[in-house]
Amino acid sequence: MAAKWIETLVGSLDQKRQYKHHMARIEALPQPYRNAAEALQRYFMYQGGILDGDTLITMLGDFVELWERAVADGTPVRAIVGDDPVEFAETFLQAYSGKQWIDKERVRLRKAIDAAAGDNGEEKSA
Amino acid sequence: MGNQMTEMLKGTLEGIVLAILARRSAYGYEITAWLRDRGFSDIAEGTIYALLVRVEQRGFVDVEKVPSAKGPPRKVYSLNAKGREQLAEFWRTWSVLAERIEQLHHNDNQHNEGA
Repeated sequence: MAAKWIETLVGSLDQKRQYKHHMARIEALPQPYRNAAEALQRYFMYQGGILDGDTLITMLGDFVELWERAVADGTPVRAIVGDDPVEFAETFLQAYSGKQWIDKERVRLRKAIDAAAGDNGEEKSA
Repeated sequence: MGNQMTEMLKGTLEGIVLAILARRSAYGYEITAWLRDRGFSDIAEGTIYALLVRVEQRGFVDVEKVPSAKGPPRKVYSLNAKGREQLAEFWRTWSVLAERIEQLHHNDNQHNEGA
């Protein structure tokens, strides 16, 4: 289901090809790394909200590399993810937050408050 | 490491990593190992990895992919001119912050002794 959703989002055939390639690399990870990576990937899909395909592919590629590296070095899952997997997931996503939908809302909020506070930055008092 | 330590470290971790890279180029695992050796025992490798991704995207480091015997190539990070500027800014900010907090600490101690 996530794959379908992502394919409508991700535009070009080249991106689709890369996306499938990265997903295949996740599936090829030995356990327990595969389960950890898939659980995080699922969370990214809900939380991420990254709009453009290029950023998404870059993120996924870096993510897969992190786990392949962990497998090669024999680094335990917990040492990669830390005590709080949610915290890790959020930190990881933040590195790619340049083009998230929420950024548009951040700009909008700043503009609205600028306008409310007046151009000179001083509040108008009644 | 306690929760307060983790929270406080969050804002300074980027500066710490840039400072490590100012000494010499390194890959993610080396940086994590270095931090663990020096008492930052609870730092997850993934957190450092994400931080390195971020400083790379902000243009503070140059990255070289070095083949490794096992697994994908290792990304070796080195601080560039923009990164050194950022690090200098971090140290300036740190000095101001540390001084002000120490002052609070000092005043607080005096107050307690006087009471």
